[in-house]
Amino acid sequence: MARQSPQHANLLQGTLDMLILRTLLYGPAHGHEIGKHIQRTTNDFLQMQHGSLYPALHRLERRGWVVSKWETAPDRNREFKYYRLTEKGRKQLVVEESQWKQMAEAVARVLWPTAEES
Amino acid sequence: MRWWQVRKRNADLERELSADLDLEEEEQRERGLSPDEARYAARRAFGNSALIRDQTRETWGWVPLERWWQDFRFALRQLARAPGFTASVVLVLALGIGATTAIFSVVNAALLQPLPFPEPDRLMWLSQQNHSLPGVVPESLSYPDYFDWRSKNHTFAGIATCVGGGITVQLKGESQRLDIQTVSSNFFQVLGVAPMMGRDFRLEDEQPGNRTVMLSYSIWQSMFGSAKDIAGETLRMDDHSYTVAGVMPKGFQFPLENPAPALWISMADDAAGKKTSQRGFDVLSAIGRLKPGVTPEQAKADLSLIAAELARQYPDTNMEDSTALVQPELEHMTGDTRPALRVLFGAVMLVLLMVCANVAGLLLVRAARRGGEFALRAVIGASRAAIIRQLLVESVTLSLCGGIAGVGLGYGLLHALVRLMPMDIPRMQEALVDGRVLLFGLVISVATGLLFGVVPAWRMSRSAPGLALREGSRSVAGGRAQHRVHNGLVVAQTAIGLVLLVSSGLLMRSLVRILNVDPGFDPGHVLSARVGVPFGRYSHDQHLHFFDQLVARIAAVPGVQSASAGWPLPMSASYATITFNIQGRPVPRGDEPEEALGLAMPGYFATMRIPLISGRVFDERDGLKGQPTIIINQAFARKYFPNQNPLGQHIQVRLGDDVFEQSVREIVGVVGNTRLKGLTDGVQPEYYLPYAQAVVTNPYLVIRTSGNPLALQDAVRAVVQQMDEGVPVYQVSTLEDYVSKSAAQPRFQTFLLSCFAGMALILAAIGLYGLLSYVVVQRRCEIGVRMALGAQRTDILRHIIRRGLILTLAGVIAGLAIAFVVTQALTGMLYGIRSSDPVTFAAMAAVLLLVSVAASGLPAYRAARMDPNQALREP
Repeated sequence: MARQSPQHANLLQGTLDMLILRTLLYGPAHGHEIGKHIQRTTNDFLQMQHGSLYPALHRLERRGWVVSKWETAPDRNREFKYYRLTEKGRKQLVVEESQWKQMAEAVARVLWPTAEES
Repeated sequence: MRWWQVRKRNADLERELSADLDLEEEEQRERGLSPDEARYAARRAFGNSALIRDQTRETWGWVPLERWWQDFRFALRQLARAPGFTASVVLVLALGIGATTAIFSVVNAALLQPLPFPEPDRLMWLSQQNHSLPGVVPESLSYPDYFDWRSKNHTFAGIATCVGGGITVQLKGESQRLDIQTVSSNFFQVLGVAPMMGRDFRLEDEQPGNRTVMLSYSIWQSMFGSAKDIAGETLRMDDHSYTVAGVMPKGFQFPLENPAPALWISMADDAAGKKTSQRGFDVLSAIGRLKPGVTPEQAKADLSLIAAELARQYPDTNMEDSTALVQPELEHMTGDTRPALRVLFGAVMLVLLMVCANVAGLLLVRAARRGGEFALRAVIGASRAAIIRQLLVESVTLSLCGGIAGVGLGYGLLHALVRLMPMDIPRMQEALVDGRVLLFGLVISVATGLLFGVVPAWRMSRSAPGLALREGSRSVAGGRAQHRVHNGLVVAQTAIGLVLLVSSGLLMRSLVRILNVDPGFDPGHVLSARVGVPFGRYSHDQHLHFFDQLVARIAAVPGVQSASAGWPLPMSASYATITFNIQGRPVPRGDEPEEALGLAMPGYFATMRIPLISGRVFDERDGLKGQPTIIINQAFARKYFPNQNPLGQHIQVRLGDDVFEQSVREIVGVVGNTRLKGLTDGVQPEYYLPYAQAVVTNPYLVIRTSGNPLALQDAVRAVVQQMDEGVPVYQVSTLEDYVSKSAAQPRFQTFLLSCFAGMALILAAIGLYGLLSYVVVQRRCEIGVRMALGAQRTDILRHIIRRGLILTLAGVIAGLAIAFVVTQALTGMLYGIRSSDPVTFAAMAAVLLLVSVAASGLPAYRAARMDPNQALREP
């Protein structure tokens, strides 16, 4: 993976999957849209190369969490590969979200112990 | 995802990526960038698209296979682009793999194939253990012992016996001598093979008078024209009538030794005489089929109980044979050849190892030349694993090519081996390239590919791309580390080569010693032959008269210097020991000593040129009417009459021919020792009886000639034909042949191992030559500078040769140490020489050093002749 400037964080392993699933919760999207959306919503803090999305997308599809279909984009007169969340993917998202929350809380407890006590 | 959808899937991915990339580009343009800037920005935002493709495909699961296939095709293209390199590597590999495959085929046929009988694991070879001799010495069974074992055991489904012999078949006016086995009636049943035609032997076939014969498939074809109605027919053999019981199926043979028996007869013949009732007449081989679930140990305990009981009951004959030996038949059959085959297989594996090191060196050089290519790959995103994988796929592709050529070569070599092979390795004729051999070839090819590929692959994957690209541009690719690896390979090759050279050197020196052994007789210009006079064809007197006449008539043939007959012919594999006692030294019957028996007609010692030491040799005084006499050899005299004159002493030999029944005989002479069993077997005590006083078997004719002995064989046949047309002449051979055959196995082993050592020497030389040539090319610049600064050509020459010598010396020192340990495995195969023989070690090290200097010479010469001007200007 290419070097990143310090103010950008590297994506934690496995986090990308969750972010993609979460993004798709709003409705079907193609790879470019997903990447743009993640970047925008994190105020460019998570700046990844779009390309790294595709392996993740294909992996999710293989696991059955998303399905894909070629559809014409409403604003461009071309077909893009749209990914759509499946029921299985929805459940997976819930699981990952709760795991993430647990981990974030655990990390927070270690980093700011006093804040926790007070 | 199915693999056949990969193509479609790839297109899909391509389309997806380009659609999204185009979109990005469009968006960048909409932001106001110029088209070129937009494309560049889009691509930067997108990342390494090749890597993305790879990583995405990886998630499909079928990628590994696809990638191997890609690498394989790429490897083939690469190899095709360097035909010279490819051809030489494939040739070296083919030699190594071919030799290994051929030897493995032999090992496979001889040792690994199961016996060709149903449930072969249950077949056991049985014998008694002779406790009078040190170590575990198996002793054959006598018929009465066998009958007891057969009826009293609880652990065998059946026990059968066989004993080899010969018989004269009289068919359509012609007589022919055939190898036979006399067997018990349950013989075929124990082996688990039924006749394909006719009936099996029955218990009553063991009774006197019920002479029956079972034909082998091949004799049924050749002598009886595959007659369908042969069963029940009568066959004249040795002047008796035998009923043909049946024909065994094609390929059936037992015992599995050469020559294969042409037919099997029931023991009715032996039962007609007194053999089946003589305890102590230990001649039978026994084979048993264990009951299901019984272990050999249990069977041994069971039979040992019976043997111990027999030893108590019959101390005269069985006292020393109080335990039984039970050994899996396959193990027994292959026992003698196991060590030799193990050594040969070990040697050929060493050759293969050298081939690996050699090819690894070649690949290193090639990889160094391709340093730039791999650096480029690394720069544009190939992972380290990918580079290693690709190099390994290339090397395995190479080794598979070598393997295919090698198995082909091995097939040819195997045929040559089988033809050359004088060793009596059972089942050797059936050695072939079967599924197991092919599998072995495949495994060994892949293994060699990985072995010789792993070093260069590892080296390449570690090189820093930037450095390699820069170095590559100046054509000095490969650094110090790579040289160390390459040096190591050359040292390893030298060491292994020396081990092989020393091993073959030891065998050679041992062979020379064997060939220089004095056999105790003069084998030059002596023809020998056997004459199949059936016992019972003539009376005792007539039989003797026939041989007297025969010898006299042959002696009269022009070109014959002298003729006689005796038994056994030394090194002919005929051999017997008979117990005896010396008069005045009474011992219990069961404790009587036994020594080798010999029979001799007058003139035998003179014809054989066995020297007379004292007393006299046999002459007409020792005939039917004469006093019973005996001649002993020096070893006998030394063992039984130390510090005593043996002449005039009396010996009673426990042997009878109905006329001279265990007579007390006077020692009339002492003759020189002969090597009875073979050149490498020590001399042993032996005594000779006059043939006229011990007519127990047909003797070997010995005929000393002035010219080529084989030129007289027709004359000898003619003499026998004149005397009796119904008597066949067989085993016609020169005495030199017997002596030579006795050294056949060491000669063959030495020959093969020397071939391997020769290959090793060439490989070691090529390895060193390859390294030094490469070094010279690489250091062209440096050498040029040196010369420009005033170095003499001889300095350069010396410099390169010294480098070769240092490597060789390192290899030689390591090799000597390894050889010192490894050659101990040869101990059993060496005669008259220790496995650590310093002369051999020194000589072989010297040979290797000389060859190394020669191998360094050419590159050194090339370096010294270099034009410094040109060397420095070339890029």
